[in-house]
Amino acid sequence: MGTVRVFWLFFRVGVMNELQYRMNFVVQLLQSAITLGVALAVLALVYSHTDDLNGWSQSELLCVFGIQILMGGVIKAYIQPNMTRVIGEVRDGKLDYALTKPEDAQVLASVREVRIWQVVDVISGAVVLGFGLSGIVADLALLDAAAFAVALVLGAVMIYCFWLVIATGAFWIVNMWHAIELFDGVYLTGRFPVGIYPGWLRYSVTFLVPIAFAVTVPAEAVTSRLEWQTLVIAALFATVLFVGTRWFWRFGLKRYSGASA
Amino acid sequence: MTSVAAPVPADAPQGLELPEAGRLRSTVDFYLTTMRLAVQEQFQYRTANYFYMFGMVAEPVIYLVVWTTIAEQQGGSVQGLTVGYFAAYYIVWTLVRNMNIVFGAPFWEHRIREGELSGALLRPLHPLHFDVAFFAGWKVVVIVLWIPLAIGLSLVFDPVLDPRPLEIAVFFVAIWGAYLLRTMFQSTLGMLCFWTTRGAAIFDLWMTLELLLSGRLVPLPLMPDWVVTVSWFLPFQWAFFFPIEALVGDFTDAELARGLAFQLLWILIGLALFKLAWRFAIRRFSSVGN
Amino acid sequence: MMSDYAVHVAALEKVFDVPEREAGLRAATKSLVRRKWRQVRAVHGISFDIAPGEIVGFLGPNGAGKTTTLKMLSGLLYPTGGEARVLGHVPSRRERAFLRRITLVMGNRNQLQWDLPALDSYELNRAIYRIPRDDFRPVRDELIELLDVGDLVRKPVRNLSLGERMKVEIVGALLHRPQVLFLDEPTIGLDVTMQKRIRSFVAEYNRRHGATVLLTSHYMADVQALCKRVIVIHHGRILFDGPLTGLAEQFAAYKTIGVALENGHGGLERYGEVIHRDGEWVTLRVPKAETPRVAAQLLADQAVLDLTIEDPPIEDVIELVFAQERPE
Repeated sequence: MGTVRVFWLFFRVGVMNELQYRMNFVVQLLQSAITLGVALAVLALVYSHTDDLNGWSQSELLCVFGIQILMGGVIKAYIQPNMTRVIGEVRDGKLDYALTKPEDAQVLASVREVRIWQVVDVISGAVVLGFGLSGIVADLALLDAAAFAVALVLGAVMIYCFWLVIATGAFWIVNMWHAIELFDGVYLTGRFPVGIYPGWLRYSVTFLVPIAFAVTVPAEAVTSRLEWQTLVIAALFATVLFVGTRWFWRFGLKRYSGASA
Repeated sequence: MTSVAAPVPADAPQGLELPEAGRLRSTVDFYLTTMRLAVQEQFQYRTANYFYMFGMVAEPVIYLVVWTTIAEQQGGSVQGLTVGYFAAYYIVWTLVRNMNIVFGAPFWEHRIREGELSGALLRPLHPLHFDVAFFAGWKVVVIVLWIPLAIGLSLVFDPVLDPRPLEIAVFFVAIWGAYLLRTMFQSTLGMLCFWTTRGAAIFDLWMTLELLLSGRLVPLPLMPDWVVTVSWFLPFQWAFFFPIEALVGDFTDAELARGLAFQLLWILIGLALFKLAWRFAIRRFSSVGN
Repeated sequence: MMSDYAVHVAALEKVFDVPEREAGLRAATKSLVRRKWRQVRAVHGISFDIAPGEIVGFLGPNGAGKTTTLKMLSGLLYPTGGEARVLGHVPSRRERAFLRRITLVMGNRNQLQWDLPALDSYELNRAIYRIPRDDFRPVRDELIELLDVGDLVRKPVRNLSLGERMKVEIVGALLHRPQVLFLDEPTIGLDVTMQKRIRSFVAEYNRRHGATVLLTSHYMADVQALCKRVIVIHHGRILFDGPLTGLAEQFAAYKTIGVALENGHGGLERYGEVIHRDGEWVTLRVPKAETPRVAAQLLADQAVLDLTIEDPPIEDVIELVFAQERPE
């Protein structure tokens, strides 16, 4: 299948490129350590003043942190660099190069960049998640684990769709750079289960920017508080979003080719 | 090899050197001109500035919601800090945080990498003057844009804010003190870029210390005692906790004066450090080029 | 006396220490602890003087040491050895009085505020250079008129074309009326009309204010139009310093003879290498020493309608000069 082949092709090139800059690995290691350190400091601080936060214990919140860091690693490894590149290329008119290739433009635009050293964040997130889990239950129910895996993938898909919408927006609004900084700020809300936020913010970070689906829902799965309806909603929402963004991307592309011709 | 030095043609008029205005007057003139320039430029980018500020609002809102949740679970306060106090603290936080954004280390990296420093060095004026003046102009725009944001946040979160006139006055001095203080330390840190292209890791480390010790994460009294003690020996809290607390908390007159004095002290220390670092940096730059 | 010169350079040297890098992680980690350094001599003891009001072309291939020299003369780089004086100042001290009397313009570099009209940046320069308002206005308006930028100064710089940007850039660089101009590739990337415009401006500015100009350019047309004198630098050493015409004399081993014959143009090959035919007109390349003899021969043997002897085009000469090996 074309998609997989294209993905693999660019993945290999990306990895070879990144391997040349091995110092980046050390820098990434340090930055991940800092992220982790701050997260743990916040956790210690919060639970030095209380035993539970809106029904979440310290170990459970550790799971949320872990998933947030892990998902953040995925976003920074794949989703964000690719979409940032699209935004930049639309501005500089370089997207034409990608569009003239005999492949699906959306696939191509989504797989050209890979930051492999972000894997450090993915691993440290997973380790934190592991520590959190070990504080809750002896062993994870198989059903919970499966639900977790499904929720995680759905969450990643939704974040990808969100970013694609932003990148497509660059066809109309040239200056989309600030959206990137906006996202970095808003993604921090994933550090805590969305339940603690006031209504307007909760809905925003669930449906406008699907962070709740990407972090809180998987966290609910591993802490055995996920209701099956939530997972169904997540699946439906992910599907609608995916189809919708694909349509939006094509619509934007038509406009782009029309404008630059 | 021949060396030809043609004489000046007799009819060529001599380049008349332009007179130089007085030092103090022209420095004031420079600051005003630069600030006006920055205001014009940044007002062009209202939308971008708002985007930027909105992205920044997420952080304090998260802290605020967490501490409000904890306070409410414990009957309305944490260590005597009420829900209304937290709201006020984190709303004022947004302005102080913006005042803390200065021409810092990453900008220096950019300036050196893009070769903009050469142009700056050819001018008969230290680049730090330009940085301070330009960003000060930008801050004027930020303050204006911040007001509706603060009103919006106040409607959502019910802050309790009851400052005395003196506290308001000190606050307005202190946010500019914070701006200068952080400019000095960030510029000093920026000098590292003359030696390494991987300063980012060090800046991150510094920013983390700042996050934990300045009051950006939580009001300092919520920190463990040893952290509070450490923060007394460092510049961070004077650029963050002090300005906020001056408006939101109940400092005595003596404490307000002490805070401003500490700000001044750290600004001077920062300036001295910067001047030292600058000397080495320029020596390096002019022997290596870029 | 030294102060007779606008620019005085004696045995000027610049050596860079460049880290030596080997490939591989191991070498990279090792180099963190102990770096190997290699010395690169960018400028190798050059000397020249420039009188006030002169326009001098500074020529050399990429990496010859031109920009390094210009940076030393404008105070951005500290010389490793030798002496540099500009208007009596030691550039590396970067004194206010010195910086107020010079300017450095680099093509493709933008020093104006990107998002604002140039006029606002000019105001900023006025403040930086501490020029009283009343003195400033006529200087600014004169430059705007001379370069014919008119309303361009009211548009944001980012909306200007490359050539327009260069013009407003030059205005900005001359607002403090510097007496010494270092122009590093001021016409690079511009179209021919714009190049001409900037050329004639430099000439006019020099004539009006007696400013000294040191100019580097890849376009020989710039040099031919502006510079009576050129300094050629290669591998950090001066190869030639003198009038432009002297360059061909010293370096070109050939001259070209153009000839038109009455009775067709067969058999010209025996006089020299035929490099061009255009109808009647044939161009021959002949070793320099042979030129008089060949020309006399041609006139004697053939029915010559017209004959010219020329130095090869300046571009070709320069190419010859640049192709020289590093002496050592």
